[in-house]
Amino acid sequence: MQVIKTWNYLRGYVIIRVEGLTLERFLNLAITSDIYLWDIKRVDYTVLEIKVTIEGFKALKEVVKRVGCRVELIDKKGVPFILYRLKHRKMLGFGIVIFLGLFIFLSSLIWSIEIIGNEEIKTGDIIKVLEKENIKSGIIKYNIDKDYMKHLLLDEFNNISFLSIETKGTKLIIEVKEQDLPPEKIDTDTPCNIVATKKGVIVKTIARCGNSVVHKGDVVKKGQTLITGVISDEYSEEYILVHAEGEVLAKTVYSYRLDEPIVKLIEEETGKVYERWELKIGKKGIQFFKGDIPFENYNETVREVKLFQNGIHLPFKILVHEYRELETKEIKQNIDFLKKSTHIKAVEKVNKQLSAKVQIESKDVKYYIEDGILSTYVVIEAIEDIGEKQIININ
Amino acid sequence: MKNKMDNFKYNVSEALELPKDVVLDLPKIIITGNIGLNISNHKGIIEYTQEILRINSSIGIIKIWGSNMELKTILSEEIIVVGLIEKLEIIS
Repeated sequence: MQVIKTWNYLRGYVIIRVEGLTLERFLNLAITSDIYLWDIKRVDYTVLEIKVTIEGFKALKEVVKRVGCRVELIDKKGVPFILYRLKHRKMLGFGIVIFLGLFIFLSSLIWSIEIIGNEEIKTGDIIKVLEKENIKSGIIKYNIDKDYMKHLLLDEFNNISFLSIETKGTKLIIEVKEQDLPPEKIDTDTPCNIVATKKGVIVKTIARCGNSVVHKGDVVKKGQTLITGVISDEYSEEYILVHAEGEVLAKTVYSYRLDEPIVKLIEEETGKVYERWELKIGKKGIQFFKGDIPFENYNETVREVKLFQNGIHLPFKILVHEYRELETKEIKQNIDFLKKSTHIKAVEKVNKQLSAKVQIESKDVKYYIEDGILSTYVVIEAIEDIGEKQIININ
Repeated sequence: MKNKMDNFKYNVSEALELPKDVVLDLPKIIITGNIGLNISNHKGIIEYTQEILRINSSIGIIKIWGSNMELKTILSEEIIVVGLIEKLEIIS
């Protein structure tokens, strides 16, 4: 039924009031002359209210003449009449057109660029590259050549392994997956030296190619040549350049010092909370608050109130600043326990400095207590390959 | 003569399982609970008020009593009535 109603509304219909004595005859004649009538209601003994289409209303004139009753038009409904009315209100129609135009225009612009998944590459760098090609917020989204953009970004940044560009509404989303760059390999034909990456005491040198210039027990500094690729003769000035290769094992030392006061100040939350609301539009914000923060020491956290659960992007944010009162307490710690915990912490720190290939020789832990502060020294001696290839510059 | 013809038609429709309202030119009255009525194959309206509705058909006059009756649609084939229906009588 709803379908028929909608169809009638689209085509337009009129509500008429028929007054006469032989209304049944009027209905029968209307049926036989194929006029579609609906929602017929007997309001009074001599009055009928009928809905009829525009064409039907015109055709009814013939019937009315034959029956001899009076027809009165009560209401006009439907799209054709609305359009007719709009013809006389040109500015309204103009406004609608402008509104639709603006709506379509504004929703076909890119308003924000979002970059997801970049760790090493800075978001700003990607945006700069795009800006050079005139891709920034405010451009029309249909003009974006995504393939060109992809090539551009892949050319510019070597360590992008995957890139997807899509426009979602007025947002341009660039999804990036990075890959680790492999260390630069030096071609085996290029002459090179092997130099030290850190200082240490040489334990063993194995020169597969080139001349070893350091011996066991030598102390080397960072950057010092260990195996040279320049092979020369004492008796002549000629020399040959080779691609030096080999391993240089050296004893290296890693140390870490950790200071921890024996009497410790601990900040604890008292449970009292003070809240402040803020309405943020763009970069400007309005804070709503009553009175100052009633605490001396406090911790501030900001959380955002989301009006919609699904990620609808609103041009403003509602922020709640929470201030939690803090209380400081002095706690004297057990020295034996403290020693153990600082030991573990210090070793962890040292381990972070070590690379995977390192062989640990010895570990030494020392404690000093001075002015109520416990200092923990951890020294680790390790043996590792400290050689690194460096191209010889021939000048 | 006409009676014989009708008999024949009835037997045919019975044998071939054809709908009788089509073969015998009978009105078909469908009543939905007591809120609506649907009459097809009618022969015009004789009387219509909100309480009483009389419709002509090949088997005589169909008289319907009710309240707030409204003619939802009128076509040459079908009449749809909406409203509280209380009583129906066929006067032949």
